[in-house]
Amino acid sequence: MTETTRPTRAATDDVIRASGLGCSYDGHVAVADLDLTVRRGELYALLGTNGAGKTTTLEVLEGHRRQTSGSVRVLGGDPVDRVRTRPRVGVMLQDSGLASELTVRESVALAGAVSGRRDSVDAVLARVGIDHRADTRVLQLSGGEKRRVDFAAAVWGTPELVFLDEPTTGLDPEARDHLWAAVGDLREAGVTFLLTTHYLEEAQQHADRIGLMHRGTLRREGTVADLTAGATTTIRFVVPGAVDDLPLPVSRTENGLAVVETHDPQRDVGRLLAWADQGGHALERFSAHESGLDDVFRSLSRAS
Amino acid sequence: MTTAHSPSPAPASPASPPAPAPPAGRPARAGRPAAGAVRAIALAELRMIVRNRTVAACAVLVPLGFGVLLLFLDGAGSAGVLAGLQIIGMVGMGVYVTVTTTLSARRQTLYLKRLRGGAVSDAGILAGVVLPVAAVSVAQLVVVLGVLALQDPPTHPLLLVVAVLAAEAMFVGLGLATAGATTSPEHAQYTTLPVFVVALGAAIWFQLTGVDELIAVKRLLPGGGLTELVALAWDGGDLGLVPWLLLPTLGWAAVGGLAARRSFRWEPRR
Repeated sequence: MTETTRPTRAATDDVIRASGLGCSYDGHVAVADLDLTVRRGELYALLGTNGAGKTTTLEVLEGHRRQTSGSVRVLGGDPVDRVRTRPRVGVMLQDSGLASELTVRESVALAGAVSGRRDSVDAVLARVGIDHRADTRVLQLSGGEKRRVDFAAAVWGTPELVFLDEPTTGLDPEARDHLWAAVGDLREAGVTFLLTTHYLEEAQQHADRIGLMHRGTLRREGTVADLTAGATTTIRFVVPGAVDDLPLPVSRTENGLAVVETHDPQRDVGRLLAWADQGGHALERFSAHESGLDDVFRSLSRAS
Repeated sequence: MTTAHSPSPAPASPASPPAPAPPAGRPARAGRPAAGAVRAIALAELRMIVRNRTVAACAVLVPLGFGVLLLFLDGAGSAGVLAGLQIIGMVGMGVYVTVTTTLSARRQTLYLKRLRGGAVSDAGILAGVVLPVAAVSVAQLVVVLGVLALQDPPTHPLLLVVAVLAAEAMFVGLGLATAGATTSPEHAQYTTLPVFVVALGAAIWFQLTGVDELIAVKRLLPGGGLTELVALAWDGGDLGLVPWLLLPTLGWAAVGGLAARRSFRWEPRR
């Protein structure tokens, strides 16, 4: 059966390969000419503006929707193939679809039964930290607890590839940490993840590579360092009194704060602090903000 | 100095060597995942029916009450005709309406989409959802028809079993088709009315007029040929008629199945 279930473990290390992917429905082009590759063992974050086409892309890759153009291979096979591909893939949907009348234990056992993989309910519940609610009906769970049940169902039997669609929405910080720790353990076992999230800091912290979608296409892709390369650091402060010898050129003023943008923050922050120290100036509301993914994201959403 | 969102180094760069292939869990036993999955879906569905009072009342108590009520109906005709009315009414409510309502509800909550993300086939998912409903219906019929049989036993019990199975198949098929045109469980209250009224109406028409009056039309209607088949199984008669009474019923089951194949939706429209 092992050979039957996993015959297409390809020589390639590309777990997902989409080429020229397009998807339209009801006369609306949701995704157009998208090329995407996810390598074995990496955590790839697919981010995008609202309506960018992330969900449609994910649905095609998960096998819930057929593309209208281009080709898609998941684990070397067709994502719709329920015999060869699906048993190797775990999916955490954005909207859970859990049955409210079932208990946590029953829900996870059901997900396991239809997954085509085998595991232990107690072990999976403990892994995601929801074992103390095992006999509670889904109806009585909080939103965060339901997300943990979703996660348990997705990682049942340690699939080779896991789709995480907004996995931490509704989770408190401790639960988020627990989920990311579980993801870390699975990554050590070689599991590949495709993540979508609105929490940019999570993508920044956990993703190996990030793809930024806007209006149905992948606009930028790379590591956080790639995406933020060449970005500026913004220094803000209240100009002390009537001074006319500021050591740095002020780019603009925002809410009473002088804003300086620099590509060499170490040098310019040093110059500013030295100037204030020598002149006895107090730099009120001083801050230096290094551009991050959120700035890249905002510039993308402002772009046409 | 505060520094927000400093670009942390990624845990592994694209250039880093790929991780080893994971153990990928233990695959289900060769050739058996479908059967196990359908059983698991059916068990979950049974639990949901029992635990939801509204569903339990609609799927269990109302059809049972209808069947029991008819037992006390005077002048309904022969035992066979009465059994026909009971089967059409009970399976119509207990299977047709329940299947339509249940599938609409499961689609609306994205439960069907979740199941569809697994390794089990579409037919397996539908079988898992529908089987407990049909099983509950058969159990109800055993009780009600059993009481009737104590007073007046059926002439051809095996043919009666065939008729009951045909009724279950017809109403399951029509339920699947109607679910494709139903957007919510509330909507099912309206979408199920036409077929249910026609089927029960055909049964009552047969009860009132027997084989007189437009018999060909009566036999072709969903529920018409079936009522006559049940009456034949219970009261006895010309067994040569069996194929002509069974075919329209199975035909409606096939029409329902084909319509469902074309129009059934697994997710709500967005």
